[in-house]
Amino acid sequence: MPRFNVSPYASLWAGGFAFRARCVTIYPRHATNSDSPHPVIRLSQRIQPWLFLAPYLIGTFVLIVLPALVTSVIAFTDYNALSTPTFTGLDNFRQMWESPIVRASLRNTLVFVMVAVPLRMLGALLLALLLQRKRRLFGLYRAMVYIPTIIPETAFGLLGLWIFNPVFGPLNQLLALVGLPQPAWLTTAAGAQTAIILLLTLQLGEGFIVLLAGLQMIPRAVYEAAAVDGASEWQSFWQITLPLLTPWMLLLLFRDLLMSVQMTFAPSFVMTYGGPYYATTYVPLLIYELAFDLFELGIAAALLLLFYLMIGLMIVIVVRVVGVERSYGS
Amino acid sequence: MFTTKIHTVRLRLILLLLSLLIVACGTAATTPESESGAANDTPSGDPISFAVFGDQAELSAFEAVVAAFEAEYPEIDIEIQHTASQSDYRQRLATSFSAGSPPDIFLLNYRRFGQFVSQDVLEPLGPYLDQSDLIAADDFLPPTLDSFMMNGQLWCIPQNLSSLVIYYNKDLFDAAGVPYPSNDWTWEQFLETAKALTLDTDGDGSTDQYGVGIEASIFRLAPFVWQAGGEIVDDPANPTRLTLDTPEAQRAFKFYVALQTEHHVVPDRVAEQAEESEARFLNGTLAMYFNSRRGVPTYRTIESFAWDVAPLPQDVEKAGILHSDGYCLSSKAANKEGAWRFIEFANSVEGQTIVAASGRTVPSLRRVAESDAFLDPTLPPANSRIFIEDTESIRRVPIMETWVGIEETAGKEIEEAFYGTISTEEAAQRAQDLTQGYFDEVNGE
Amino acid sequence: MTSHHLVALLVALFFVLPLFWAFVASLRPAGFAPAQSVQWWPDVAHWDNYLEVFSQVPFARYLRNSLFVTAVAVPITMLTASLGALGLTQVGDGARRWLLRISIGLLIVPATAVWVFRFRILGALGLVDTPWALIVPSIGASSPLFVLLYYWAFTHIPQELFDAARLDGASLWALWRRVAMPLVTPTTAAVALLAFVFYWNDFVSPLLYVFKPQYYTAPIGLQVLKQIDPTNYPIWIAGAVLMTLPVILIFLFLQRYFLSDLSPATLFERN
Repeated sequence: MPRFNVSPYASLWAGGFAFRARCVTIYPRHATNSDSPHPVIRLSQRIQPWLFLAPYLIGTFVLIVLPALVTSVIAFTDYNALSTPTFTGLDNFRQMWESPIVRASLRNTLVFVMVAVPLRMLGALLLALLLQRKRRLFGLYRAMVYIPTIIPETAFGLLGLWIFNPVFGPLNQLLALVGLPQPAWLTTAAGAQTAIILLLTLQLGEGFIVLLAGLQMIPRAVYEAAAVDGASEWQSFWQITLPLLTPWMLLLLFRDLLMSVQMTFAPSFVMTYGGPYYATTYVPLLIYELAFDLFELGIAAALLLLFYLMIGLMIVIVVRVVGVERSYGS
Repeated sequence: MFTTKIHTVRLRLILLLLSLLIVACGTAATTPESESGAANDTPSGDPISFAVFGDQAELSAFEAVVAAFEAEYPEIDIEIQHTASQSDYRQRLATSFSAGSPPDIFLLNYRRFGQFVSQDVLEPLGPYLDQSDLIAADDFLPPTLDSFMMNGQLWCIPQNLSSLVIYYNKDLFDAAGVPYPSNDWTWEQFLETAKALTLDTDGDGSTDQYGVGIEASIFRLAPFVWQAGGEIVDDPANPTRLTLDTPEAQRAFKFYVALQTEHHVVPDRVAEQAEESEARFLNGTLAMYFNSRRGVPTYRTIESFAWDVAPLPQDVEKAGILHSDGYCLSSKAANKEGAWRFIEFANSVEGQTIVAASGRTVPSLRRVAESDAFLDPTLPPANSRIFIEDTESIRRVPIMETWVGIEETAGKEIEEAFYGTISTEEAAQRAQDLTQGYFDEVNGE
Repeated sequence: MTSHHLVALLVALFFVLPLFWAFVASLRPAGFAPAQSVQWWPDVAHWDNYLEVFSQVPFARYLRNSLFVTAVAVPITMLTASLGALGLTQVGDGARRWLLRISIGLLIVPATAVWVFRFRILGALGLVDTPWALIVPSIGASSPLFVLLYYWAFTHIPQELFDAARLDGASLWALWRRVAMPLVTPTTAAVALLAFVFYWNDFVSPLLYVFKPQYYTAPIGLQVLKQIDPTNYPIWIAGAVLMTLPVILIFLFLQRYFLSDLSPATLFERN
């Protein structure tokens, strides 16, 4: 990813946690202090931290780094799980480009990202604003909002299948009760896409918590000062809350963009299996089908890689447009 | 105050972890027991792994075969690896193959074994069968062994065969005063029957009882095409393209699609999503359901109505479609001799009789298929004989490496036509365009 | 009740509605077509559906296996993640910066990318087809996220506390035990919850790495249940509810620290 190294991203991460600080000051003070209180650093003291890190580093290397590297290499080979991979250069990418189904899956995923990511962020923001008060029962409400987020994916998909049942499902029965039209949900392209977006929007607990934290970190005094100046609630939202929340929102945006890689898999696998007619064939599901139904592991790996490049590109665009330096600078 | 809070938090965490550990220790303590219980004889060498898919009834049947085998060959230990759903099963196979440690023996459908043959990961079983004292090629019903032949070799031993049949609810036929299907009924008779059994019982304007339940897939469409005298591919032996656009195929395609779009005897997309056809059949609100033999164990649990099976209706020709799974042997298996002993046993009269008792399969051995183990007159379906009669009219989809992709891609187009989104001509054209790559891939090599 | 409170209540209820609906559906009579009107409570609650779950498949064993995996993997995760994070605060500047970058970068590696080749590694380690195949990621802290969470928490501990302990000649181990861990309990609660969810909900690993039915975990059990009788909504929804229950209980147990202290713990959770 040219022009985008990890460092601004790392500071984003930390910036969200402590945005008052400038982006480089994420490291603990004792580490950046050159005048260490211990003039004599014994060898054991230098080795000890690495011993502490060893299980994490070794485990991560063996179980994440190594397999991921192999997958990236496989993307440039003809490999169908049964044979030995043979190097074919960019042939997998050419095949993908020619496949209308791959293009459909990229389009679907793009639409999903464009709709679901803003929706999830807006939802998280509104919920955080609504439920931030320290009042009786609000703690319970916050917990309730978080609950869909922790429901196991497979179970959640099954529940979705039931909730969106066009005839017997509780959702349509409720809509009928209040006199609203009852969509046929999973049987139409738009309905199925909407159902999956709605279901995943319910699982916005993580963003909700992050924004709650962000709101809490805004000092009361800022609002009080604004109130003294005669600012309305609406004005102080636009002029104080929103700007101060921006770093957190950005953090969420990056996270959701990245997570969208995986998010759609469980619901599209359990509820629609890509249908009707490729409408919910998102990239992760297609990768799964390519790899485990057609045994085209090479193409599956190539698609994964391509998708990552696209997400990376999106992040670069966001970084350029919004201007990370501006948000985290001062 | 701060510290007390931390204190209570810590206490709670410790309690939580302890409670989890106690439960876990319970598990750990019970596991060895169940293991030692299983290993009461003394098999030598590593166990031979045997991967199967299917529901609990099938698993029990396989477990019974393994038990009988181990009683006879105490020196060989077979270890079943069971996966419930077929898609999960494929995922496991792909993973274990790519990781270089496939199961020694595994079940494969004849539509899928081509993928494996082309990659040289199967052990050809022809030579083993030729030398067997227990089973011989002649013992098998004709279409089965053929369906596991590729490149002039026999690759897997078929354990079963099944045609597509129609399961029908006798009570609904009686209530509507419609005669039961005969063994040589025609498309027209089938359609009339279906219409007579499609009812709006409560008069609210929506159908409550459907005449027919049938999936939208090439596998369901194919027998209609053959019955109309058409073909699904240009040359079944060396296919180079789909031929759903020929007049014969289109006539069949239109008849099949009209069941839903025109006559509405099949649930439409919304109705199907609301309640699947098979569930409707089980609940007694769908009269005729197309399925292979695999439905039988479940249908045998039906108490609320009587049911039987009928053959597919015929048109200018009589044609059924083959379903068959075979025992395949990995070329990497360490103990091929022992593994073959098991495959041989499982497909001997003794082994197949055990599986036949589960009701799930139509045995591939003629002797077992014609025995009471399969034709058990005390259990439904009474008309079980149709599964093994007319085996010459059972046809099969082409055997090729990329067939799975063709079937899935074409299936999506057929589904669109079936639910009336596109015409049959359009579906045929699109299916052909989208699958051509799969044909070329095979023929190019 | 103010209108603000009322809105808050309604919104909160909206979020638990799916679970409530699932619960109601699980109490419907098994095997019959569902009712065609709004039902807030079934006419006759069929609690026996839950018994049916246990008789159709060995669900108790699946739950026990899941508990075993989580009970071993979660504490190990907490240990390796917190030790790693403390180590991270103590290594040199350059090394730390790189390790942080790499850890964050690894958060975006999707599970899909490691499925197949992890099998090969687990096979080489002789862990395939044992519950340890499911547990072993905990040695690598399960996810870099957990290390980062602890790391972030540790950087917020006043340096004076560390210095004081060091002057007393405390080893890093003692620092971890006496200073660092007691001060980051909310993070520990968050990591415990997230790690629990991570292992409890994991469907793909047991599917790919465990073949013996006696080691199946609850997510696989749910799939088996659905396979046995795919047309019987109430039974498998009952199974889904059963599987969700422990997660909800643990969450309710830990949410106080989780939601009130508001560490942005959940970011990148589903790696």
